[in-house]
Amino acid sequence: MGIFKGFNEIQIHFSDALGTKIFNEDGIRIGNLSDFFVDYEEVYPLVLAIQFKNSGQYFYISWDDINEYSHKKIIVKNNAFKGRSRTYPKVTTNKIITSILASQFTGNTVEYPPLGKIVLDRQIVDTAGKKVVRVNDIQLIKAGTNLRVTHAAIGLRSMMRRLGYQSAIDSIIKLVKPNSKYLTSEALINWKFVHAIPNKSIQSSVKLNLSNEDIKELHPADLADILEDLDSHGRGIIFKNLDPKTAAETLSEVDDDLQVTMLRNEDLERAADIIEEMDTDDAADLLHELGEQRAEDIISRIDDDEIQEEIQELLEYKDDTAGGLMSTEYLSVLADDKKDDILKKIYKEHEDLETIYSIYIVDKNEKLIGQCSLRKLITQKDNIEIGEVMNSKDVKSMQVDSGWKEVASFMSKYNLMYAPIINESKELLGIISVDDLLPWLLNER
Amino acid sequence: MKDKKVKKEKKKIPSFYKRMIILLGIIGPGIITANIDNDAGGIATYSLVGAKTGYGLLWTLMPITVALIMVQEMSARMGIASGKGLADLIREKFGLKVTFYSLFLLVFADLGNTMAEFAGIASAGEIFGISRYISVPICSLFVWLLITKGNYKTVERIFIAGCTVYLSYIVSGFIIGPDWGEVIHATLVPNLEILTAENMPLVVGLVGTSITPWMQFYIQSAVVEKGITTKHLWHSKVDVIVGCFFMFLVTIFIIICCAVTLHTSGVHITTAADAAMALEPLAGKYSSILFGIGLFNASIFAAALLPLATSYYVCEGMGWESGVDKTFKEAPNFFTIFTSLIIIGAAMVLLPGINLFNILIWSQVINGVLIPIILLFIINLCNDPDVMGEYTNSTTYNVISYGIVLLMLLVNGALIYYEGIQRFL
Repeated sequence: MGIFKGFNEIQIHFSDALGTKIFNEDGIRIGNLSDFFVDYEEVYPLVLAIQFKNSGQYFYISWDDINEYSHKKIIVKNNAFKGRSRTYPKVTTNKIITSILASQFTGNTVEYPPLGKIVLDRQIVDTAGKKVVRVNDIQLIKAGTNLRVTHAAIGLRSMMRRLGYQSAIDSIIKLVKPNSKYLTSEALINWKFVHAIPNKSIQSSVKLNLSNEDIKELHPADLADILEDLDSHGRGIIFKNLDPKTAAETLSEVDDDLQVTMLRNEDLERAADIIEEMDTDDAADLLHELGEQRAEDIISRIDDDEIQEEIQELLEYKDDTAGGLMSTEYLSVLADDKKDDILKKIYKEHEDLETIYSIYIVDKNEKLIGQCSLRKLITQKDNIEIGEVMNSKDVKSMQVDSGWKEVASFMSKYNLMYAPIINESKELLGIISVDDLLPWLLNER
Repeated sequence: MKDKKVKKEKKKIPSFYKRMIILLGIIGPGIITANIDNDAGGIATYSLVGAKTGYGLLWTLMPITVALIMVQEMSARMGIASGKGLADLIREKFGLKVTFYSLFLLVFADLGNTMAEFAGIASAGEIFGISRYISVPICSLFVWLLITKGNYKTVERIFIAGCTVYLSYIVSGFIIGPDWGEVIHATLVPNLEILTAENMPLVVGLVGTSITPWMQFYIQSAVVEKGITTKHLWHSKVDVIVGCFFMFLVTIFIIICCAVTLHTSGVHITTAADAAMALEPLAGKYSSILFGIGLFNASIFAAALLPLATSYYVCEGMGWESGVDKTFKEAPNFFTIFTSLIIIGAAMVLLPGINLFNILIWSQVINGVLIPIILLFIINLCNDPDVMGEYTNSTTYNVISYGIVLLMLLVNGALIYYEGIQRFL
């Protein structure tokens, strides 16, 4: 326990450690502590080395070369190797890898950026609280003869500590309200939920790559909120690392204006991949906002011909009419289709359908002739033709050019979850779900 | 297929409303920021400069505009290259302490600016014979509701649209028909004799109202929000230059109009409202109403934008939750900051015996004192490859930028010497 001789605190605040004087064994001062290098591959990263600054140059000294460590002074071995670099060369192991940073090249040397530089005062994603927060301080803990990083501090108390007012504020609060929560609890994020976003230079110079596992597990709606709160640089980094499907789900949840900006920043190929994964109605809305030229460029790069055609058709309609709101991913069958065939069709296509609960029956000219619920169909005998059980009289449908309000009151009147949309010749064009109307009703558009 | 084509043609004609939105969408952050620059404090200062010194200070607009272009360009470039706001970058580079104290000063300066906006509202009201004790409370409530219940983008767009009222200065400038040779001479040839102790507050006011600290935060976040990429760096430069040139044009014409109508006829004005009333006998009743509307529009929307923008930057820098769509419980600091700015700003204007003109000028002085600090941050950040990548400042650019800071410090120093030290000794 020699290294922490006379240093009794268990928890160490990064801000308190900064500026600690560093001496060698002969008592000659070699610099002041400016940052820590830690093993980003661990859940609670081990401190590998310390960084100090001397006449404008940055150096690192390995933790193994430290004889004594406290807030008063740090004593390092006389023969300690002082590496002149802003980064620390870390030989990576093969295990992969925890939430913070994962290396692209396992087994090679990777230049690690210092801890403070990528976390302190920066925005991070708190994957437990599903929020974007700014880190005021970092907590470390003494573990044997080492230090480990345990928490990121984000609260008011850590802010006061950084400003140097902690003791003053503490004594005032002790006087006024001795059992105040402020004194005992600090707003902390456990390190395993800290998702750091490296800045541009670090990203390009050291080829560190963010592991997105913890991010991918978030619900797209939460992820969308996080992206909205991040600056555009961090947003770009996280969004670029999402696979097209997650990206599409997330993009649908993002604020309209931001949607356009984000898609504009993607290259055309990826934009097309994302658009392809989105619901066609959302995709059409977004492309509509994007401007004609760019929209056409993206549409032409969509691989799936069917989706391409659907989106193109949807783009013809005004976005506040049934045509602009509807989705073309509906389930339509012919009147003489058997129950078995329909169920097989559902089994095969359900992923591409907006709903399977409402089945629409069309004739050979795509004219809507009836509607049947899934419930009604599956409770029938096996070889029945859907035409026998469908509701063909007074099928509730709306014209493609009806306004959204008209559609909404129509659906409300007949208690519909989905409404089929037809043109003048009764041809089925798409369906609108209650879900598509909610943003309009809530005035979010 | 042919049928579809026809349908598409038809759809291409958007409604008038939609066309307006598209038009306003094209206007870049640089032009928007330059327009916001012409707020209550600005109009008052320009009018006073024209009335008091005639064409005498016109030449100062040249260096001011050049400085403005350079500063705005740096902020915009920084936003594009880093994708981050200014408060964000200051926090990441200089740490919490520096950020806290600079933002504290920014809040203080913006409180002064907000007061100036409410003073503008009061002055505009008084032109129409409405007491400030009626106009200011109603307007501050309106502004607060506009922020909490309204839409920020809409507010901004109405504001910009309203700013086109200032184009009327250009028109009336041509109607008045000054001696253009004299105007050009006064603009291009520096006249150092005019820099007297008496005129020093006007010079600082001109600098302070043209290059404000919060504008640098504003343009940068506007650029970031628009998601402009380095590919469009050149467009952004053009946008900034066009915006600043437009501001220069409006400024110079306000000064010309006031110089011709007020200065030559020897009318002395001491308040912003006087500027409008003094216009009345000379240029007809219509000018006075136009001035009042213009001043009111600029004041009320800036009174909404300023506190809102300020609380956004503070929260960005301090890492507090922000956004008007949040509840008070979710973002207490954000709501507290802009609400206090509005309440204190409005209340100060209503203090009995307070001189609105003093508020206008002194708010610009606080700006003037803070702006060199913010500029030093901006120049420092613009030289940091960690922030800017390959888009750092060139050496020439740095030399000129530091020169600008030095000039500002000199002008500020002169003002503090004349106004503060000499007056009290």
